[in-house]
Amino acid sequence: MASTTRRASQRVTLLMLVLASVTILTLDYHGEVSRGISRVRRDVLDALAPVQRGIAAGLHPIGDVAAGAFHYGALVTQNARLRSELGAVQSQLAENRFAVSRAESILALEGIPFVQNIATTPAQVISSPTSNFAYTMEIDRGTSAGVAPRMPVVSGRGLAGTVVDAGSSTAQVRLVTDQQSSIGVTFGTGTRASSAIAVGQGVGEALVVDQIAGRSPHVGETIYTSGTDGGAYPAGIPVAVVASIKTGAGGLTTTATATPLVDLSALEYVDVLEWLPQP
Amino acid sequence: MTPRAWGRLVVVAIVALIAQVGVLDQITVLGAHADVMVVLAGAAGAIAGPSRGAMIGFVLGLVADLVVPTTYGLSSLTFVLVGFAAGLVRSLPGDRDGRSIQLATCIAAAAVGTFVYALLGALLGQSIALDRQVVVVALVVTLGSVVLGAPAVETVRWALSGADRAEAAHPVPSGGSATR
Repeated sequence: MASTTRRASQRVTLLMLVLASVTILTLDYHGEVSRGISRVRRDVLDALAPVQRGIAAGLHPIGDVAAGAFHYGALVTQNARLRSELGAVQSQLAENRFAVSRAESILALEGIPFVQNIATTPAQVISSPTSNFAYTMEIDRGTSAGVAPRMPVVSGRGLAGTVVDAGSSTAQVRLVTDQQSSIGVTFGTGTRASSAIAVGQGVGEALVVDQIAGRSPHVGETIYTSGTDGGAYPAGIPVAVVASIKTGAGGLTTTATATPLVDLSALEYVDVLEWLPQP
Repeated sequence: MTPRAWGRLVVVAIVALIAQVGVLDQITVLGAHADVMVVLAGAAGAIAGPSRGAMIGFVLGLVADLVVPTTYGLSSLTFVLVGFAAGLVRSLPGDRDGRSIQLATCIAAAAVGTFVYALLGALLGQSIALDRQVVVVALVVTLGSVVLGAPAVETVRWALSGADRAEAAHPVPSGGSATR
């Protein structure tokens, strides 16, 4: 008897708590409440930022050792300085190649800003993704430094992501690999230029390049932001390198996968482009 | 549960959150990191039983959701289920109060909790693909819970120790809502 009552009591408790959770979930979809929750989250992250900054500085070597233990002989064999130098050189090469090969096209397209002319705000990555299922990172610059939502974030090698939320001293950046990330891209030049959409597939996964208009890309080709996808990014930022091509049944559709140029697992410093999409 | 026990649990939740954001999030393996909050929810269920495990899971979820960009309440819902399910193991016949059983329950709860979180997230329209990455994340979280499980069990046991004594001193009649 007591056991039956106890089980009934447990079920009631469970039901009440599930209902409470569902209510909170529902409220987060409501505009005003959602804004309030976002504000509280920003304040919490701002409050935690000094702790994160301190711990991150001390823990980067530990994180590298832990990662190295798992990736030994495969991925993590270069030290941070070499990666940074290599990234800078490759970025410069990619930018030069893009600038030269696209000169005629860019000159013909007035209004598309050059990446080189955009002011930047340097920032330190103080937190890797806080959720295993949402690929965002936190940087130590916020609205007080001029960082605002929708600003692109780059590293020495190319596009890393976009600012999605900004507190006064920190900001959340959605990485290009996040499944909500969709980037208008281009590859090739002149009459052989093609456009497509690169969509994130999750951490460690290649981007899927879909909706290709024009010729198919070839493996090893670098894709850049097109600057024409509703103006979400400035044109000419290197995004990824095509890794594979897949042609659909009948040869009518082509999809490619592309590996992001930026090593998102080893980001320590980034630049926020002080550039906002045109309304 | 006494206000003192709740106070200690809130302190544990906040310290765990700082450890999660400051330390554990920085150590990624195959793109995933350990999750101390789900481990604590499992530990709460394993030690305190289904009802209190679910309640503690709810609070832990509210705290955990403060730093993740997914919909607020998703962790709460997941941890309620995790805490309750872990508590049901305690209700099974036989000696379920041993530390090894609690630790095993805790680890299993972390693994199951990761799948539940992904499933609920996908159902609620979050950008979570139910693909192999979910398995990878669950594996990493489970491995992490092997390390974090014992400290989590001891921490929750400490936080609830006063509550157990208080309830023993003022027993609730059979069938009361405070029964495990």
